[in-house]
Parts: sequence; structure tokens; C-alpha cells
Amino acid sequence: MTKITSSIIGERLPKLDAPSKALGEATYGHDVRLPGMLQGRILYSDYPSARIINIDITRAIKVTGVKAILTAEDNPPTRFGYGKDNTPFKGQVVRSMRDEVAGVVAVDQYAAEEALSLIKVDYEPLLSIFTAKAAMEEGAPLIHPEHGSNLFHAYNYNHGDIEKGLAESDVVVETSFRLPYVSHACMETSVIIAQFDHRGQLTLWSTTQIPSLLQRDLSEALGIPGNKIRIIQTTIGGAFGRGLDIYPYEPIAALMALKVGKPVRIAFSRQEEFLAAPVRQPVEVSVRAGANQAGILTFRDVNATLDIGAYVSWGSVTPLVMMETTASLYRIPHVNFKADCVYTNNPVTGAVRGYGNPQSTFFVETVMDQLAVELDIDPVEFRLRNSNLPNTETPQGLIITSCGMQECLEAVFARADKESDAKNHIYKDLNLRNKGIHDSTKDNYLKRGIGFATTLNVGGGARIYRSDGCGATVKVDDFGHVTLITGATEIGQGSETVLAQIVAKTLGVKFGDVAVINSDTDVKPWDVGVHASRTTFIAGNAARIASLDARDQIFETAAEILETNPSELVSREGLIMIRENEQRSESLERVVRRRHFQEGGKVVIGEGWYDPPTEQVDKNTYKGNISAAYGFGAQMAEVEVDIETGMVRVIRLVCANDVGLAINPMAVEGQIEGGAQMGLGYALTEELIVKDGEVLNPHFSDYRLFTSADMPDIETIIVETDDPEGPFGAKGVGEMGGTPTAAAIANAVFDAVGVRITELPITPERLLAALDNN
Amino acid sequence: MKPFEHHSPNSLEQAFDLITQDDNNSYYYAGGTDINLQLKSGILAAESLISLKNLSELKGIEYKENNGLKLGALTTLRELQRTKTIYNHYPALSQAAGLMASEQIRSFATLGGNLCNAAPSADLAPPLIALGAIATISSKFGEHKVPIEDFFLGPGETVLEEGEILMQITVPPPNGETLFIKHTPRMFMDISVVCIAIRLLMNNGICNEIRIALGAVAPVPLRAVNAEAELAAQPFSSNNISRAAQIAAEECSPINDIRGTAAYRRRMIEVLVRRGLSSLNENYSKV
Ligand SMILES: Cc1cc2nc3c(=O)[nH]c(=O)nc-3n(C[C@H](O)[C@H](O)[C@H](O)COP(=O)(O)OP(=O)(O)OC[C@H]3O[C@@H](n4cnc5c(N)ncnc54)[C@H](O)[C@@H]3O)c2cc1C
Repeated sequence: MTKITSSIIGERLPKLDAPSKALGEATYGHDVRLPGMLQGRILYSDYPSARIINIDITRAIKVTGVKAILTAEDNPPTRFGYGKDNTPFKGQVVRSMRDEVAGVVAVDQYAAEEALSLIKVDYEPLLSIFTAKAAMEEGAPLIHPEHGSNLFHAYNYNHGDIEKGLAESDVVVETSFRLPYVSHACMETSVIIAQFDHRGQLTLWSTTQIPSLLQRDLSEALGIPGNKIRIIQTTIGGAFGRGLDIYPYEPIAALMALKVGKPVRIAFSRQEEFLAAPVRQPVEVSVRAGANQAGILTFRDVNATLDIGAYVSWGSVTPLVMMETTASLYRIPHVNFKADCVYTNNPVTGAVRGYGNPQSTFFVETVMDQLAVELDIDPVEFRLRNSNLPNTETPQGLIITSCGMQECLEAVFARADKESDAKNHIYKDLNLRNKGIHDSTKDNYLKRGIGFATTLNVGGGARIYRSDGCGATVKVDDFGHVTLITGATEIGQGSETVLAQIVAKTLGVKFGDVAVINSDTDVKPWDVGVHASRTTFIAGNAARIASLDARDQIFETAAEILETNPSELVSREGLIMIRENEQRSESLERVVRRRHFQEGGKVVIGEGWYDPPTEQVDKNTYKGNISAAYGFGAQMAEVEVDIETGMVRVIRLVCANDVGLAINPMAVEGQIEGGAQMGLGYALTEELIVKDGEVLNPHFSDYRLFTSADMPDIETIIVETDDPEGPFGAKGVGEMGGTPTAAAIANAVFDAVGVRITELPITPERLLAALDNN
Repeated sequence: MKPFEHHSPNSLEQAFDLITQDDNNSYYYAGGTDINLQLKSGILAAESLISLKNLSELKGIEYKENNGLKLGALTTLRELQRTKTIYNHYPALSQAAGLMASEQIRSFATLGGNLCNAAPSADLAPPLIALGAIATISSKFGEHKVPIEDFFLGPGETVLEEGEILMQITVPPPNGETLFIKHTPRMFMDISVVCIAIRLLMNNGICNEIRIALGAVAPVPLRAVNAEAELAAQPFSSNNISRAAQIAAEECSPINDIRGTAAYRRRMIEVLVRRGLSSLNENYSKV
């Protein structure tokens, strides 16, 4: 017998889908072509708020190649969306510049575009509201009169007693923050293809993250029963939360397909993506917090206002996550958290990776740093003293089991302590940019600093919907080939790979023998969606349960062949053997065939369903254990600030994350590095500039993502705490890479130059202004 | 974008014939990296596009010690960045090209396109102005020459008349030390918030020739003549360097846009000109 060398779990296996993506074989949404397929385009509003007086399509409909023009007259009578405040096309009024006014179906983009330019819409502009503050004023026009108020929802959380906390405080700090709009900036723009067949069955090729919920949402939006809707997920070129909701273009594509009787594709241009895809909501927050002389936190009091734009999406429940950071990041006895989600005539907002956590971690961790300074305690020491601990319950009701927060902090601190080679990096960078500049005064204007921040994230699902479950089926065929059919969705995060590892290990087959099917609602079982860093944990547990079920079936037959008890059997690399006598074995495929090809035979199909032991938070108190595990992390940023230009360069970013167990360390590193890239952009360069309801920089030249050239060295440290509930001890890691980054950088800037930047991104101009004021 | 005709003339004559004097809807193009965006966004509606790529008269890089550098208008940014002679003798020009856009864009984008597109932020303009480069322009009716510093009339506007083609750029032999600084939030793939180029010739510690050119701080790339005058025929000191930097900041007339406020741009000109002058001065004091 060959010696088994591979353990599969914990191996640095390359992603299953990487070669097909690198070679151009993968079929993205933009690659899908169906026979007779037509192109759909959307006409958006010219005003952030206006009454539609008339829509004249007489010239547009005459354009050669135009098949149909749709308006609100084509809307089904129902409304859709999280707040039930949206319709595909807008009929009487438009409430934002992304409002869909009409749609053209044509044989190609040229005809569609020409027709768009010929649709004549008469508007009567109305008073517009561009700030949450203006929206909340007495007598402000109502964006959705039927809602009765521009305040969509007010969150109000409390534990302990703020007054008591205040009385116990030796130091108190109070700071206000402003956080910007940011875009997912997916490499692949939004795209959908809709087709009705002769039975009236609607099939959608989509890049959604929530196939099961989208079925339900579309059923509601279109007035079609859910069993008539099939969603096929193409290879997805970036999601980051963009696909967590239903958006008008999706029912619009279906309405178009219905109207013309042909498949219709809507594919956003890059500009349209920036203008019409949802964005992270801007937040204004004031934070007050205190600590005592011993360096122990006493209270935290947060007041936030979120501008959710003209329609509600799931993104407006991000205060639930902000609340979690506020109430449960560090042990803290007295907490208030208030958040108002307010309608305005600004772009509609949604959920972006981190789901509120990058925002709240920024303000909470900045204030932590301020307290440490006030107390004159080392910021790492201060954090350690207040750190979350294993096997504790927070006053909010989070049951923390595994917790490596202190290990993470100590790990990044250890890297900071050592004399780094950072100096070389910065000069390497500067040389690239300004070759030949040898300025001896450099030391006068380049200032160095380091900063820290930690993060707390759900790591075992998040029950924000009544089920947080995922289904899985494991099928083993006559050749020993294993197929996992999972409800989970691959969005580039590597879930296919990790789930295949879990199945291979549990079933005892080679990693390469497992294929993953995860893209068709006609095939795959229910899953709530890919969000909340939940897939490895939830879908992983489901896959494990299904694999165990399949293994039981295999062992039952193998025991007959090997004349032993199933409990005596083990399996590895496609061989079933007797534990005490591994020489006696049978191959998986022979076992499966034996089971199959006999009278009364059966095929091997294992089933799994995992819904974690958690609860939705209480509707009034917002307390409850929302996740079955919590992930922790810490980051250390080292920056160099040019005090004359205001430029901040991140030289190093050290990221430590408690992931329970790294099923695939390479994939974990990828998630952390990718998260850090988004965190760096959030901290320093990314901002969708919105003025009077209009996006001013809808292109990559002025919406500045960190490019590979801008990336500092990211050092990742994996901390393993062996979570009791996670598959093989694993917890989620999908969002943690980016949540503490902005705070770590802002704290490092303070360390370097002594000013607190409380408005993101930290642009050179903002920093220079802060230095001037100092 | 609307459909348009496309021509690829193989001779200059053909190219000239394809655009008549009062033709407003035909455009020459080279790499297409600017015009493509303008067409897509609808800023430009072209009926026909005329590729200059087959015209051998617009090609070639030639360096002679006595005559300097001749660059065909079709020279790509990548060639500017990677050609050894350019890199060795005109480092500021090579660096400016190397800091533009991305490897992919640099392989398409041309010198002629960057100048003719006439963005106030065109990165090649300041080094070429500092180097005293000259443009050769041709049309059916003949040829004429214009210094790059007089080439620009306003954003998107140059001295080129309808039907004229920018043929070549000539750069005088290297004379002194040059430097280019580009100020952008990102390392690459970013349009200059401001940029500067300086050429300095020192003789025995005295400033013999100085040219300071500024980008993205006026409707056209600008020469800071008053700042130059402040330094002419003098030894450098931290005092006159600072003064010249201040004067340069006063000479420009930047605007507010999403890439930066006017005040910030002005301030950056002062910082960068000061740093640039100090650095060049230090280079001289080392030899
Ligand atoms: C992603 C990206 C990044 C960029 N980054 C930068 C940057 O950092 N700095 C910067 O300055 N620019 C940048 N640009 C702009 C652009 O790439 C450059 O200006 C480039 O040099 C243009 O050259 P081209 O050959 O592509 O021009 P084209 O698009 O072919 O032409 C531009 C204009 O010049 C005219 N034209 C071209 N050649 C001639 C000629 N020989 N005679 C007469 N008219 C002519 C055309 O009619 C057109 O109006 C960037 C562009 C992109 C897309």
C-alpha cells in the first residue's frame, strides 16, 4: 500500500476554478449568448427628484432594430425590495438619478443607444433632498409619502447604563466621523439574461449571490410563482455584496423578455455600473467613549445616521453589524447605539463586503486609540486589557467560543517590534516614482508611524434571515467520481475549493476526484446566500454532513464485502479499509458498483442540511446570538506621511486573523490580502463623489482602487483556535481582511504626525488641512 | 457610441485628402487611447476615423549627439520609456512616459496623441517644454514648426488646423540636468494632480539656463518664466529656491476639480518646484 502523504485539510491547494479563469475558459455573465438574444438598455432619470409629465417614444420606437420600449405601464402591480418601496420602472415620480424611467430592447447596442437618446421625457423638477439632516427636518418633502416619514428605520440598542459608565470614567473622548460612498467596483459589471420558454418558465443567467432568495424576490416583483423561476449562476466576476439584493434591472430584463418573446440581456457599461449599482452607504457618526485609570473601558455611546438613498435594500440593515462592533468589540459594560436610516434623493445604497463593519471598526478603533493616548497607555496594551476572551458571552448575547483576539494582537505587535525592512520598501517606491530625486531634506518632511486595530466578525453564519441554512448533496458514481451539489455560491472567494477539500477529507477520496456543482436553482438545494463570511462554515458543515451520510452508505456495503462492521472501516484516497488491518481494502468504485448493480440496488447519494444553532436578534432589544462562531483579527499598519503634500504611503500591513482552522491557508491568505486591498482603498483613495444626487466620478480614472503597484507588502499571520462548531474547526474569514485596515492606517497617521483623521478617505488634501489646523 | 467609417491610409497624401478644410466630423487618431474614450462617452461624435498608424513619415526614433533627438509622432509611450538613448540622455522624458497609464496603454498610446489631445495634464508636455522641443506640423499646403511651449491654446485645443498632422518632435541635444515629478494619489494609472519638469544648466555654481514647466495647473501646460527669472545667472540658495517656488505657484492658474482644489494644486507646485530645484542643485554640488 502506498503511504498516504496528503492530508487535504490544511493544504495549500490551488483554487479549482483558477485555471479556467486564467485560460479564458470560464463563462462569465458577459459571455452568455443565446439564440435570438436581444439587448436591453435602461434610460435613467435626468433629475434626482421630479414628476414625470410625459414620456414620448414615437421617434425612438422607429429606430431600425428596436423591438420594444418599456415604461412603468409595463410594470406588474406589485412592489419589491427589502422595504417594498421599489418598482421596475418609475411611473409618476423619480426619486434619484438612477431611477429607471424606460427601457429599450433592440437587436444591438447601437440601436438601443440611439433609441435611448430619442426617448423624450418631460419632467417637472421637485425639491430634492441630499442630506440625511435635510431629510429629517420638519416639513421636508417625503421621498416615499406612503412610508409617512423619511426615516426608514431607527435602531436603538442599549446595554448597561451610560450615565453610570460616564461616572466611572477617568477619561472620556468624543469624536465625530464621516464616511464616504464606495463602490464594489467589480471587474465584471452587472449583467443578466432573461428567457421565457414556451411553458412560461423564466430562466435567468445571473451573477447574484442569493439565488434562492432572488427566486422569491423575483416571484414577488413579477407576480410569477417561484416554481416558474430558475436561476443559473454564471461564473461571477466579482460580487463583494453587490449581488445581495434584487435590483430593478433584474425584473426589467424579465419584463423585456416577456414582451418581445426572445431572450434579453442587460449588461451595464462601466459608467452605468458606477451610476446605477448600489454603493456602501455614507455614515455620519458621533462617538463618545470612556475608560478608567486602570485602562479598562467604561462605556461607548454611538449615534449614527445612514443615508440609504432613495430605496431600501438589505444594505440598510448594516446597522445590525455596526451595533455588534459597538457593543461587543472589546469587553465593555455600558453601551448605547443609535442609528437612523434615512431616505434621500441620493444613489441607492446596498451592502459592501464587511456589511457595516469597516465603518464601525473605523470609528470604534479610532476612539480606542484616542483613549489609549489620553490614558498614556500603550495602544496594544490597552487593547489587550479589554480584549474579547474565549468562552464568554457579551452583554449583547454573542456567545464567544473560540477566540484568538489576544493572539492576533500579540502576533502583529511582535512583527512591529522587530526592526523591519520597511525603510527599504519606501525608498524603493520613491525611487520608482521620482528617479533622480536625491533630496537631503527628505527626513524633514517624511514622517513614520505605526498603528493598530482589531476586528470582530461573525464567523459562523449570521442569522439575519429566518433560516441561515445551506443544503448539500454528495453523489458518488460508479467510477468513484464524487460530486458535491451545494447551495453555496462561488464568487471568487474559493468556496468550491474549500468545500471540495471538506468532502474529499470526509469521504476519504482524492481532492481531484471531487467536482462541485453550485450554479443552478433547478439542481442545487436552498441556501440563504453568500454573505457574512458564512460559506466555509455553513456550507462546509452541510457538505460534511452530506459526505458522512454518503460515507455511511458506502461503509454499509463495504462492510458486507470485507465481512466486518461499518464501524471498523476507514477510507482514504478512494480506498475503504479495515482500520486495524489496512491490507484488507476495497476500492470505492467497486463498492459503489456493488451497491448499485444488484437486485434492490441503490446509488450513493448523501444528504446534508446545516442550519447553525443561532437566533435572530430580538426585534426590540437587538440582542441574541446571531452567529455560531466569531472571527477575530488584528492589523498593524506602518505608514510614511509626507507632511508637505499630505500623501500617505502604507509601507507594511501586517494582518493576523483567527480563522479557527485554515482548511486552505493559501485561500485564507487570498481572502485577507483581497480584503486588505479594499480596506486600503477605503482608507486612502476610494470615494464615489456624489454631489446633488449625481455621481461625479463614474469611471476608474477617478474612482481610485488600489492597483497592484500601490499595494504595500501584506504580511498575513494565521491564528488557529480550533472552533468547536466549525467544519474541522474552521471559521469564516471572507470579510475580516478589510475591516480594521482603515482604522489601523488612521492610527498610524496619528502616530506619525499627531493628527486624527476622522473622515475617509484620508486624501492628501484632507490630511494637509488637518495638519494646517493643528 | 455611434457607428463610424474607418480609414487606414497608406500615404500622407491619402491621409490629407481624407480630411477637408471644413470637415468637422473626421478625426485622425494614433493609439486611440484618448479618442476612444471620447467616442464612447459621447463627447465626440465621429463620422469617420482615420488611422495614422501606417504612415512611415510619422515613425522613427533617431538620436545624434549634435542634432539631438527626433521622435516620430507615432512613437509610443513604451518606446519613450524603454529606449536606452532616450532614457540616458533625456531621463525626465523617459520617466514621464513611464509613469503614465499602464503597460498595456503605454504600448498603444503615442507621443503625438498625448500632445494633440492637449489635456492640461498631458504628462509629456512639461518635459518637452523644459527641453525646448519643437513640433513639425504638415498639411497639404506644406510644413511648419512650432515650439511645444506655443503648441497648446487651451484644453483640447492646439495650433493644429483642420487637416494638419503632427509629424515629428525634435528635442535639442541634452544640455544640463532634467527632472520630472508627477504628483498623484496612486503610483500608476493616475492622471497628474500636478506635474513639473525642470531643466537646469549650472556653470561653476551659477545658474546658466533654467526652464521650469508645469502641468495640470493652467488651461495649457505652462512655463514658469518668472520663477526662471528669479534664478537666472545666480548661485542657488535655499532662499532663492524657495522664492522661485513661490513665484511658480503664483504664476499658475489652476482650477478646482474632483482631482484637487486650485489651492492644493498651487501649494503642490510650490512644494514640488522647491524639491525639484533642491534636488537638481544637489546633483550639481556633488560633481
Ligand atoms: C487608462 C489610461 C491612463 C492614462 N494615463 C495618462 C497619464 O498618466 N498621463 C497622460 O498624460 N495621459 C494619460 N492617458 C491619456 C492618453 O493615453 C495619452 O494622452 C496618450 O498619449 C494619447 O495617445 P494616443 O495615440 O492614444 O491618442 P489618440 O487617442 O489616438 O489621439 C488623441 C488626439 O490626438 C489627435 N492626434 C493623435 N495623433 C495625431 C497626429 N499625429 N497629428 C494630429 N492629431 C493627432 C487625435 O485626433 C485625437 O484628438 C491615459 C489614458 C488611459 C486610457
